[in-house]
Amino acid sequence: MFFYYFKIGLHNLRRNPVLTALMVLTLAVGIAASISTLTILRMMSQDPIPQKSERLLVPIIDNSDPSKYIPADRTGSHLLNYRDSVNFLDRHWATNRTAIYTIRRGLQFHPIGNNAATELITVDGIATTNSYFAMFDVPFAFGAAWSAEDEKNHAKVAVINSQTASKLVGSQSPVGKVIQLGSDEYRIVGVVGKWNPVPRYTNVLLNDDEFAGEDQIYIPFQTAIANRIDPFAGFFDCSGAVPAAGFDGWLSTNCTWIQFWFEVESTQKIAQLKSQINEYTAQEQQYGRFQRRAENKLLNVMQWLDYLELVDSSYKISTGLSFAFLALCTVNTIGLLLAKFSSRSTEVGVRRALGASKLDIFSQFLIETLVIGLAGGLLGVVLSYSALWIISQQTKQFMVVAQMDVKMLLIAFVFSVLASVLAGLFPIWRACQITPAIQLKSQ
Amino acid sequence: MVRMKNISKVYRAHMIETHALRDFAIHVKEGEFVTVTGPSGSGKTSFLSIAGLLEESSSGEYLLDGVNVGQLSDKERSHLRNEKLGFIFQGFNLIPDLTVFENVDVPLRYRGFSRAERKERIDHVLAQVGLTARKAHFPSELSGGQQQRVAIARALAGSPRLLLADEPTGNLDTQMARTVMELLEKINQAGTTILMVTHDPELALRSQRNVHIVDGQVSDLVRRHSSLVAG
Repeated sequence: MFFYYFKIGLHNLRRNPVLTALMVLTLAVGIAASISTLTILRMMSQDPIPQKSERLLVPIIDNSDPSKYIPADRTGSHLLNYRDSVNFLDRHWATNRTAIYTIRRGLQFHPIGNNAATELITVDGIATTNSYFAMFDVPFAFGAAWSAEDEKNHAKVAVINSQTASKLVGSQSPVGKVIQLGSDEYRIVGVVGKWNPVPRYTNVLLNDDEFAGEDQIYIPFQTAIANRIDPFAGFFDCSGAVPAAGFDGWLSTNCTWIQFWFEVESTQKIAQLKSQINEYTAQEQQYGRFQRRAENKLLNVMQWLDYLELVDSSYKISTGLSFAFLALCTVNTIGLLLAKFSSRSTEVGVRRALGASKLDIFSQFLIETLVIGLAGGLLGVVLSYSALWIISQQTKQFMVVAQMDVKMLLIAFVFSVLASVLAGLFPIWRACQITPAIQLKSQ
Repeated sequence: MVRMKNISKVYRAHMIETHALRDFAIHVKEGEFVTVTGPSGSGKTSFLSIAGLLEESSSGEYLLDGVNVGQLSDKERSHLRNEKLGFIFQGFNLIPDLTVFENVDVPLRYRGFSRAERKERIDHVLAQVGLTARKAHFPSELSGGQQQRVAIARALAGSPRLLLADEPTGNLDTQMARTVMELLEKINQAGTTILMVTHDPELALRSQRNVHIVDGQVSDLVRRHSSLVAG
């Protein structure tokens, strides 16, 4: 009977084409609005590293001036100062740990056998430890991360991203080639492969590009410090004294400017790490630090993204509004279905007389409604793709998040079918109430 | 085949009660061809609707082929309708979007016959009403008489025990009405019980038995054959 009703449903789409087109379009527009906003919201708030997001932790400690405390302010900083970073790196707590700070350098490339250097380009990137690549599952297209030996020797080595690599040597491997970074020469040891976590979570990127940005260069943290490479402007947190002038000022200041991450073996080890940090801050209190005595925290990746407030609340509001719009479309569809079904009361009467039970009529009209829902879903998906394409053309950031995956595609169909069934319930119930006798007599 | 006792039917609309049938009793035997006559509003169609399980009576007892239909659920009544009854309406009531073949197919679908059996039955009844050549046509492409023959084919497809006809020739010209009537007589001779509401005294005359309804009650159960001929 299902295929019989399905055939009738398809057939009846053509019966009243204007009414059908209106219904399909109404559903499709509602689906497109809700699915496209939901897609963006979902991409923005998705887990960028689900396999270990619960085991990667950002320490939040508060070493700022107690006299500068403003009530209701968030305590602590997601960044550390140099002293605490080095202490945390040296203590070997947890399975893995890394420190990150942002840098910006001029880069030039000298192809061998050619004295003319390439033009100078500016690259943004980070100084970090080699553990960074393992902790965040960074894939390599060529080469690998620098070694622990390199770190110890403050070797001038660098990892670059694929885009920068192709600018320098095209599709070849640049590993082993030497580049001029600022005033020093660095040897390329690796090229990061296709690595596109959305959102970018390892460190707050330049230009607020949490969704589309990419670090272009990575150099060893210890090398950067030894060579007195300044952190790039903007990413530091000072509650109190301004750092003393020069690079030594950065190293001695209480201002925080280094992003720190721990990786624990399992979530059971988090408590242990926390007590180690508590012990550390208690010790430091002896030297007059951590006077606010605020609670030390460890944020996993999702808590960290929450903390950063990457998802603007306006996206949540617009998603809510688009679902309200879908509800409105559904209500509108109720009216259209009532019109469609009531024009067929004679058919219902005849079918009832010929042996259809109420359940048969219910099934037939439900399947017909599903056909409309599927058609609406199909057009809705097409419209969603178009809407997302238009949105993705607006900014680089949207280009990354306005991407629909198979899951969203299925969700679109499920929503459309649900909306049509919801819209159909009342009209279908009404159709089932038609008593055959009354209907046939009026003929 | 049809046995009714103390049947009454009351319609309530806007605080006004209308008694369509009151204390109605009838017994139609298997194989009979019974015509039902009576003035407008006398309750003929209500009787036919109740007999055809399209409506429930307000009170009383109705045995259809030995089954007391009073206690049946909607599903059981629908099933009984599908299996034992065939309907022919004055307005034909074909489904306009379906072809002749598909219209005749409707009751067979509800019966759950296999595809092969449905096709065999449809071809058989369409041949019976002489419309084999029209099976791919839509109702709007047929004349009134042809449409009514399709409706008869549809009513016959499920091999019903009882055929209920409400003014089947009411919308047809004399020539077409005669063809339809001859077809019904043939069906009756083949063993199907027929209950037919009509206004036409000539048709009433042709049947074995005429039931006259006035004010919701059977006024006369005698064969009026002779008296009408005499009158």
